[in-house]
Amino acid sequence: MLLILHKKGDRVMSDSKNNQGLQVTNSDQESKSQLDKNSAQRRKLILAGGAATIGASVVPYDVVFAQGKAPMELAFWMFENPQQRPWVHKRIKMYMEKNPHIKIDFQAFPFSDLGKKLSVGFATGTAPEGFITGDWLMPTWMSKGLIAPLDVTKLGYSSMVAFTSDYPAAFVDGAVVNGKAYGYPLWFYGFPNYINTRHFKEVGLDPIKNAPQTWDEVGEVSKRLAIKEGNKFVRQGFKFAMHASTWTMVHFNPILAQCGGTYFDKDGKCVVNSAAGMKAMTIRTSFAKKYNSEDPADSIATQPLPGMDWLKERNSMFISHPIPVAAIKSQNQKMFDEKYYRAIRAPGVEAGKGYSTTYGFNFVISSQASQAKAEVLHDLYKFILSDAADCWTDTAPFPLAKKSGWSDAPEVKAFPDMGEIIDSRDKGIFHPRTVVFTELADAMHKAVQKILLNNQDMKTALNEAAAEVDRATASYKKS
Amino acid sequence: MIPKIHFRQRIQLWGLLLVLPALLFFIVFKFGPMLWAIFLSFSSFDMVSAPHFEGFGNYEALIYDDVFKESLVNTFIYIGGSTLLITVVGLSLALAVSVGGPTARLSMMAMFLTNLVPIIAVCLIWRFLLHPYGLVTQVLSIFGADRVNWLTDSRYAMPVIILVTVWRFAPYFMIVFLAGILAIPNDYYEAARLDGANAWRRFWAITIPLLSPTIFFVVVVSALMSARIFLMPYIITGGGPGNSTRVLSMLIYETGFSYFKMGRAAAISVVLFAIMMLFTYLQMRISQKGEQVYTA
Repeated sequence: MLLILHKKGDRVMSDSKNNQGLQVTNSDQESKSQLDKNSAQRRKLILAGGAATIGASVVPYDVVFAQGKAPMELAFWMFENPQQRPWVHKRIKMYMEKNPHIKIDFQAFPFSDLGKKLSVGFATGTAPEGFITGDWLMPTWMSKGLIAPLDVTKLGYSSMVAFTSDYPAAFVDGAVVNGKAYGYPLWFYGFPNYINTRHFKEVGLDPIKNAPQTWDEVGEVSKRLAIKEGNKFVRQGFKFAMHASTWTMVHFNPILAQCGGTYFDKDGKCVVNSAAGMKAMTIRTSFAKKYNSEDPADSIATQPLPGMDWLKERNSMFISHPIPVAAIKSQNQKMFDEKYYRAIRAPGVEAGKGYSTTYGFNFVISSQASQAKAEVLHDLYKFILSDAADCWTDTAPFPLAKKSGWSDAPEVKAFPDMGEIIDSRDKGIFHPRTVVFTELADAMHKAVQKILLNNQDMKTALNEAAAEVDRATASYKKS
Repeated sequence: MIPKIHFRQRIQLWGLLLVLPALLFFIVFKFGPMLWAIFLSFSSFDMVSAPHFEGFGNYEALIYDDVFKESLVNTFIYIGGSTLLITVVGLSLALAVSVGGPTARLSMMAMFLTNLVPIIAVCLIWRFLLHPYGLVTQVLSIFGADRVNWLTDSRYAMPVIILVTVWRFAPYFMIVFLAGILAIPNDYYEAARLDGANAWRRFWAITIPLLSPTIFFVVVVSALMSARIFLMPYIITGGGPGNSTRVLSMLIYETGFSYFKMGRAAAISVVLFAIMMLFTYLQMRISQKGEQVYTA
C-alpha cells in the first residue's frame, strides 16, 4: 500500500513571503527504534511506490480510473458556488458511472460554513473521507492531523518534484510539509480590480489611460465616479466588502503587505497595530472617511455573490475574484451585452507594484479514511482534474492551479482580461498561514467595523484586534 | 420463586415503569449533555483530540476576555429589554383584545401570524426593511426624518434587535395573557364597579394581582428564551458592528465551532446557565413574596 499515513510528529511550516503567526508544531518525539522501524517501512514503501509508479505509467487512464469491483461508499464535501460546485458534482457522477460499485455521497455547504461542518464531522466521526478546503485552512487541518498525506504518484506524477513543479511554488507551499503533499491544488486565483468602463466614460475618464494603479489614484478616481443625493449614495466610486470577515482579509491583506506590515512578528505576537498596520488601515478606511466615495453601511453583497453591488452598478470599482461571465449575464444583462467592464491590476501603494490576495482550494483526504477509500479518492481526484478543458468550459474564469495543460488553450487565451486574471493569481500575496486564521479574520473584521461604523479611534481598534488575536494564540499554545 | 409484591408496591412499580421512558429521555438528552458541558468547561477540547483537564483555566481566561465581557453586558441588556417589552406589549395586546370589539378576533389572528413566520424569514425581512435605504427609512423620510443606520450604528443595532424580538414573540405571550385574563371571574370586576372603582383601579387591584402567576410565567419564559437567542443577532447584524450585538449564545457558537475551543465554549455556557438559574431563583422569590403580601 502506497499511502503513507500522517504521523503526529509532523511539523507544519508556514510560507516565508507572508507573516506567520503561530507556527504549527508538534513536539512529539518518536523513539529511535520507532524511527528505524519507520525508515525500514518507508524503504519498503518507496520500493513498492517505485514499482507501482512504473506499473501505473503504462496503464491507460480509463483503466486506472476504473477501480476493483468491491462495493464502496464514501462521502465528499465541498463549498457551494454556482459554477464550481456543479462542475465537481458532474465529474463525480461521471466517475461513478465508470465505477458503478462506488457510491459517493456528494454534499455542498455554504462557503463560510464548510470549515465548521468539517470540524463537527471530525468530532463526531461523521467527517467525509474527501473534501475540498481553502488553502488558508490547511494549517488547521494539518496541525490536528486531520488530513492524510497524498501519494502524488497516484495522482499521475512521477515524483514529488514533478508534482511541485506543476504549480507555482506559492500554491503548493501551504500543502507540502516535510516533503509530503497534503493537498492537491485545484483552483487558485487572485483578485483583479473590476471597473465599470461606462461609468468611467460618463465622468470623462478613459478606462485604459485613467485606470488607477495606486490606492491614492483609486481614491481620486472613485471620488469622481461617486454620485450622491443628500446623504444617500446613488453610486459609490469604489467598494470594499463589509459583509464577511474572509472578505475583509482578502481586501486588507495586500494593503498591509504593501505598507510593509505583517500580522505577526517572528515570535508570533500580533503586530497589526504597528505603524504599518495603522497606515494600511488608514488606506482601507480612506474611501469612506477621506474620499467620501463609499458607504460602509450600505451593501447588498452576500457570501455567494460578494460582487453584487458592482454587478448591479451600485458601485464602479470592486476588487473581486475572477467574475464568471454567467454571473454577469444573470445579474446584469446590459453589462453583459455591451461588455462595459474590464479587469485591471489591483492597486498598490506604489504605481506599477500593485497586487492582490491570492487564494485557492485543495483536494484533501481525511486521515480517518481507510486505505482502500484513500486509494479511490486519489483516483477520483486524478479523474476530476484530468479534463482541464472541461473544467475551464464550466467554471471560467476561475483559473486552475496547474501550470500545465490548460492556459495555452485558444479558448482560455481568448477569454476577456485573461492576462490580468492570471497575473493577479501569480503575483498575489497569500493569506497568512496560521492556525488562528479565523480568529484573526474576525478580529480584523470587527476592527474595520468599529472604525468605520462606530467611529472608534483607529489605534484603539487595532490594539483590541491584536489583543484578541494574541489571546487566541496563547489559548492555542496552551492546548 | 417470584417474591410476593404488595398491591401498592405493584402500582408504584408500574408507575415507575411508565415514567421510565421519559426519565431516560431526560437523562440521555437533557441532563447528560448538561453534565458533559460542565465537565468540558474544565477541559481543553478541540473536538478532535481527547479532552484534557485544565481546572479553572477556561473560567480564568474569560475574566480577561474583553469580547466575553462585552457579550455578557449585551446579553443582560438584551434579556432585560426584550423581557420587559415582551411582557408589557404582550399584556397590552391581551387587554386590548379582551375588551372586545368587532375586529378583536381578527386583530388577534393577524398579530399571531408573526409567530407562524419562520424565524430566518423574519430576520431576513427585517434586515431588508432596516437597510439604510430600506422601507423603514424611506417611510420615515416622508416625515422629514434623516437616514438612520439601524443595523450598522452601534447605538441602534441592539434596540432594533430587541424590537424585532418583541415583534416576533409578544403576540405569542399575548395569547398566554389572554388566557389568564379570561380566567379571572367577572364577579370581581362587577363588585369593584359597584364600589365605584374606575378602569385603572380595577386593573391595578384585580387584573394585575390575579395575573401575577401568568406574569411570572411570561417573565421567566421570555427571559430564558432571550438568554438563548441566537438567530436574531446572528442573521440580522452578525454580532456587529464590532461586538455591539454579540450575545453569549453567539459567542458560544463562535468559540466552539469557529475557533474549535469547545472547553471555553462550555465554560461560557455554564456561566450563562448560572445567570439564568440565579435570575429564575430571584424571580421565584419575588413572586412568592408578592403572593404572600396578596394573601395576607
